[in-house]
Amino acid sequence: MDLLVIALILAGLYMAWNIGANDLANAMGTSVGTGALSIKQVIIIAAIFEFLGAVFFGKRVTSTIAKGIVPIDMISQIHPNIVVLGMLAAILAAGFWITLATFYNLPVSTSHSIVGSVLGFGLIAAFNGTIAFSDIHWVVLLKIVGSWFVSPVLGAVFAYVIFSVIRSLFLHRAADLPLVEKKFISLQVVTACYIAFAHGSNDVANAVGPLSAGLRVLGMAGGNEIPIWVLIMGGFGMVVGLATWGYKVVETIGSRITELTPTRGFSAQFATATVVLLHSYSSLPISTTHTLVGSVIGVGLAGGIAAVDLGVIWKIISSWVATVPIAALTSALIFVGLEVIWL
Amino acid sequence: MKDYIRSVFDVVAESPFLPLEAHAKKGVLAVEKLNETMEAYCAGDTARVEELTAEIDKLEHEADIIKQKIRAGVPASVKLPVDKKDLLSFLKQQDSIADFAQTSAYWMTLRPCKNLPDEIKEGFLELSAGTLKTVKMYDEVIDELYKLLVTSFSKEEVKETLTLVPEVEKLEHEVDVMETNLLKMIFENEDFIGGAGVCHLVGLVSRIGTIADKSANSADRLRTMILRR
Repeated sequence: MDLLVIALILAGLYMAWNIGANDLANAMGTSVGTGALSIKQVIIIAAIFEFLGAVFFGKRVTSTIAKGIVPIDMISQIHPNIVVLGMLAAILAAGFWITLATFYNLPVSTSHSIVGSVLGFGLIAAFNGTIAFSDIHWVVLLKIVGSWFVSPVLGAVFAYVIFSVIRSLFLHRAADLPLVEKKFISLQVVTACYIAFAHGSNDVANAVGPLSAGLRVLGMAGGNEIPIWVLIMGGFGMVVGLATWGYKVVETIGSRITELTPTRGFSAQFATATVVLLHSYSSLPISTTHTLVGSVIGVGLAGGIAAVDLGVIWKIISSWVATVPIAALTSALIFVGLEVIWL
Repeated sequence: MKDYIRSVFDVVAESPFLPLEAHAKKGVLAVEKLNETMEAYCAGDTARVEELTAEIDKLEHEADIIKQKIRAGVPASVKLPVDKKDLLSFLKQQDSIADFAQTSAYWMTLRPCKNLPDEIKEGFLELSAGTLKTVKMYDEVIDELYKLLVTSFSKEEVKETLTLVPEVEKLEHEVDVMETNLLKMIFENEDFIGGAGVCHLVGLVSRIGTIADKSANSADRLRTMILRR
């Protein structure tokens, strides 16, 4: 096998590990915080459903990352290795930025990083004259960026409605409130599966999108758009990430958000999973974590949470305003370096 | 150890309502102690008065710490289900309960209970018990706060809380009546008690009476906070 493909696989696995260790853990933290599930149960549920989501519903977003933004088929007509190097540069840049963000506790999204870095490769290809600037699929990019605004808002709206319904149907009528909360604990087991599935379907692309692009231009995709083993590998990497590091993150988050009761946690998770899955269906890479924050705010605005810190919104916006150009620039620089070495 | 996490869960800020309850409990406990202090005072047990005053002082200080934490915990970016100004003005009133329990106890240490007619002693015991009763009623209102939050302000719970507030006000009014009667009695005995004694006792009456006033004010602010939500 091509050395570059091996590099793409390794970088993809690293990214998948990162996603599992942090983003998946973030999505699952709510279940532990409300006391619905133990850490062990969360990891088992997450492992199964994240994997299923990645393998059976991860194709669409992966395809967007692989060839939706940059016209890789057009570039590979000049030389397939340009695409392979570009995609390697992209995933390295995204991985680097994510590692840095994790180190400094910045709420950076892996989806935003990979989109930014793939764009960075497209821009440098255009700058080099390999393609025209207008060949970059700007409309797709616009849709993606638009979805980054829409998804947290949609999460907030869904969660607001769901919690308001729960509130008027159960909380305001119940004679025995603890019993209501108890019943929602079992419902939260279902939403835990749901959110893991949704997360897997959307985020696997961030790890294996570049690899898929490389395989495609090298003719190693075997006629399929995205080979199934690629998605399996991505799902596997994320599960390993959760099991080896993510459990700590789940623990930390779970202990921080004890304010969320099962009815609140259910509302936030159900809304998030639905929004994420809708975006997976629409082939749009979004941030699960940001959507979850939107949903938590929605529950808060519906009066479900005693104190909601809206300052987080600015943190999120500033982090992703920074992410796209930084990831793009790093990716372009790495590409130039690799080009000098390889081509 | 530093957490290597990219998370935005600080969106769920610490609730000020649990500390609010804890803060109220400190005040209630201080007034309970104050009632004991009054009993010791009337029994002429100066040592016990000093001891209890120190305990009340400690409770008041603990209440202050909780108050400061609550205040620091509601920066501009935090959104609460109630108006922040309402919450803070409610907190201020509630804080006065422990404050005035402290001053009342302190006031008793200034001058021992010398040759007081029994009817005045009884009047003070009655006043202190009445105040405690008001504060206990107030405590029941505060217990509703928790239910309000878990049901996220259901109509039933709001109604229940709002029916308790006038109860506090009723008891506070009873304390007002006791105050007036006791003051009258003190002035009727002014020749016997002496100028300095009258001055001291009048101060004590007004301080203890203020505790009941503050409980009623606090319950009132709570009502405003719930209704203006």
